[in-house]
Amino acid sequence: MSKIVLQIENLTKTYTLGNQQSVNVLTDLNLQVNKGEFIAIMGPSGSGKTTLLNVIGCIDKPTCGKVCLNDIEVTRTPENKLYKLRKNNMGFVFQSFNLLPYLNARENVELPMEGKIASKIERRKRASELLGLVGLSGRENHRPQRLSQGEQQRVAIARALANDPAIILADEPTGNLDSQNKKEIIKLLAHLNLSRDTTIIMVTHDRQVANHTERMLFLKDGKIVTEKEGLHVAKKQNRCPHCNVAIKNSDENCPICKKDLYETDEPFVV
Amino acid sequence: MGIVSRAVKNVSRRKIRASLVIIALSISLSIMISIPAGLMANQEATNEMANNLGSTITDTSESINQALSQIDVSMSSRFGGFGFRPDNPPPSSGSPNDQFPNSGRSSSDNSGFPDRFGGFGGGDILGQFGGLSRDTTPMNQSLYADISSIKNVVTVAVTLEVSEGSSSQTITMMGQSFTTQITDYIIKGVPLTSELIYNYNVLPSNIVKGRNLQPSETGVVLLSQNNSAFFGIGVGGIVNILDVDFTVVGIYESTTVADELVLYMSLSDAQSITGNEGYITSLKVYTTSSDVVNSVVEDIRTLHPEVTVTTGQERLNQLEAMQSRYNEVLESTQASMAATQATAIQEIIVVVVATSLIVLFVMLYTVRERTKEIGTLKAIGFSNKTVMSQFILEGLLLSGIAGIVGVVIAIFAAPTFSSLLLPSVSNFGLNTVGMSGSAVTSASVANPVSLSVELILVTLGGAMLLGVLGTLYPAWRAAKIRPAEAMKYE
Repeated sequence: MSKIVLQIENLTKTYTLGNQQSVNVLTDLNLQVNKGEFIAIMGPSGSGKTTLLNVIGCIDKPTCGKVCLNDIEVTRTPENKLYKLRKNNMGFVFQSFNLLPYLNARENVELPMEGKIASKIERRKRASELLGLVGLSGRENHRPQRLSQGEQQRVAIARALANDPAIILADEPTGNLDSQNKKEIIKLLAHLNLSRDTTIIMVTHDRQVANHTERMLFLKDGKIVTEKEGLHVAKKQNRCPHCNVAIKNSDENCPICKKDLYETDEPFVV
Repeated sequence: MGIVSRAVKNVSRRKIRASLVIIALSISLSIMISIPAGLMANQEATNEMANNLGSTITDTSESINQALSQIDVSMSSRFGGFGFRPDNPPPSSGSPNDQFPNSGRSSSDNSGFPDRFGGFGGGDILGQFGGLSRDTTPMNQSLYADISSIKNVVTVAVTLEVSEGSSSQTITMMGQSFTTQITDYIIKGVPLTSELIYNYNVLPSNIVKGRNLQPSETGVVLLSQNNSAFFGIGVGGIVNILDVDFTVVGIYESTTVADELVLYMSLSDAQSITGNEGYITSLKVYTTSSDVVNSVVEDIRTLHPEVTVTTGQERLNQLEAMQSRYNEVLESTQASMAATQATAIQEIIVVVVATSLIVLFVMLYTVRERTKEIGTLKAIGFSNKTVMSQFILEGLLLSGIAGIVGVVIAIFAAPTFSSLLLPSVSNFGLNTVGMSGSAVTSASVANPVSLSVELILVTLGGAMLLGVLGTLYPAWRAAKIRPAEAMKYE
């Protein structure tokens, strides 16, 4: 049985509107995430996706319910200490990359290491390694504006890995990307999950993208209404999700059925 | 990537904005430096003038007190205003050189303000004033016998003083033009008797080369250092004065501006070469004591009502009147100084507020502009404290650079700023006391601001403080930005 990294019990988040009315964004939500899972959260606008992500990411505190992160009860942590939980446990990937424009790729990746790794040289070395991992070796000194959008998102992913987080939270990571880059990012996340056992929770609108994860959660009116397996389950077992033959982690196409293992342009069929 | 280098990068990434802020701040700061600098300079000038005048008056009254038993006799009706001349108390020179020869004298006669004012360049101006008021008539030497025979008169020293000059100059003062002769040297004839030389010190005492004049000598001359340079001649040389050759026996060092041009010779030599046989320009009457001065004065006035008689006591009275006038002017100067100071404080407050507002608005704008960036930093685990100190550091950096630029501007532009911003302190009133106002004016022109290191350091520190104060609120706003802002897609 794998280790539980995130345990959410009876989570309710209520926003109070100006005229004394309150809106339940999340209602009595339960969720358990094991280490190494690759999860997609889907749902229409206003279904509470972002709020759930904020609660998991220690940005928002729930109105009631319990959130445990690596056995730490987030709900009991005072507001002004939440940044420490984020610093130690979370890696964020944003829709618009959110790189600091005046820092180069390596310096951006070094940011979350500040205060965690004392040695400047060590930070630099680790940042270069991570950039290598996301396929950006040799581009360490490029500023964001000199990188393509796909490359910028890779830098952001490297930055999310920099503090060795328990969970990577990706908020529409492919929302700003063209289909080629979308595929590259999905492939990168899938490979990170396979090779490093990184836990990834991704919020997305894109069903094609979500289909490449292991577990798809459908949110509606603040509750998880459906749960579905994605193509990544088969990949974790080293077989082609389409024809079930054995494949290797590094394969992009199935050696037998020749299908693109990370195709995101096909119409989604339920 | 430390917080410091991020602050540097953040400041430098918006170059035009940073430059504009730095320019605005540095001008404010240089004004902040210039105002107190100008104020301090004004105060220094006033204090210096007050001290100089005060010590002059003290010295003068001391020397008059020592000479209360003496009476000056001349034909000058204008001399009274200058009656407190301190340059020749009997112990040092004793020569009755107070009276005025037939040609205008220049810088030697402004002896009321000896070389203390030399540093101000005031001597010349004063001298020109002096020269204008001196048109005196020589007196017949027969006065000597009449006055010597008065009861209680111990001795009488007569002097003939004639200025010689080859060129003239026209000066404009108080709206009028005057032509004054530039004096090259002043011939001073004194009777060379052993009594006057040794007991009454009619000759200068500090000989630097050669020797002093001796009793009954003729055809010899004692030069001042200034004379020696003018004639280009030293001890033992022959100098031609008004077509007559004299042997230079010694050179003395003048102790006052009044002496600088004076050369000494025997009275008879002086009378013959200047064509003033039988004439003198002044008498100094030595009485037995200060108690008999009034009766002697009465006797002199009875005998010769045409002469002007000045006693030490009269000089003291004049001095006191002058001192009180001087105090009044000083008070009014100080009052206007206080008003200036009030204006300066108001101006500094305005500048300080303006400076803080500039920093405040620029930093607020920057925070708003970088909301998403700050949200991102907070999402990836930056604490409120780190975010806040980053912004304070940026404000500090901006104001620090501006402070240095401001000091540089101030070094060059402080006189301009302080004269634009400070209503000038009225020194003009001091002209009524002697001619000393002109000394102050020239002092203010030469040294209009005083930029001390302390002032610069205090202002730099103040600039940093303003930077921090102006950044505190924006930094707090930055720290309050929610990390969820990072999620918003723009």
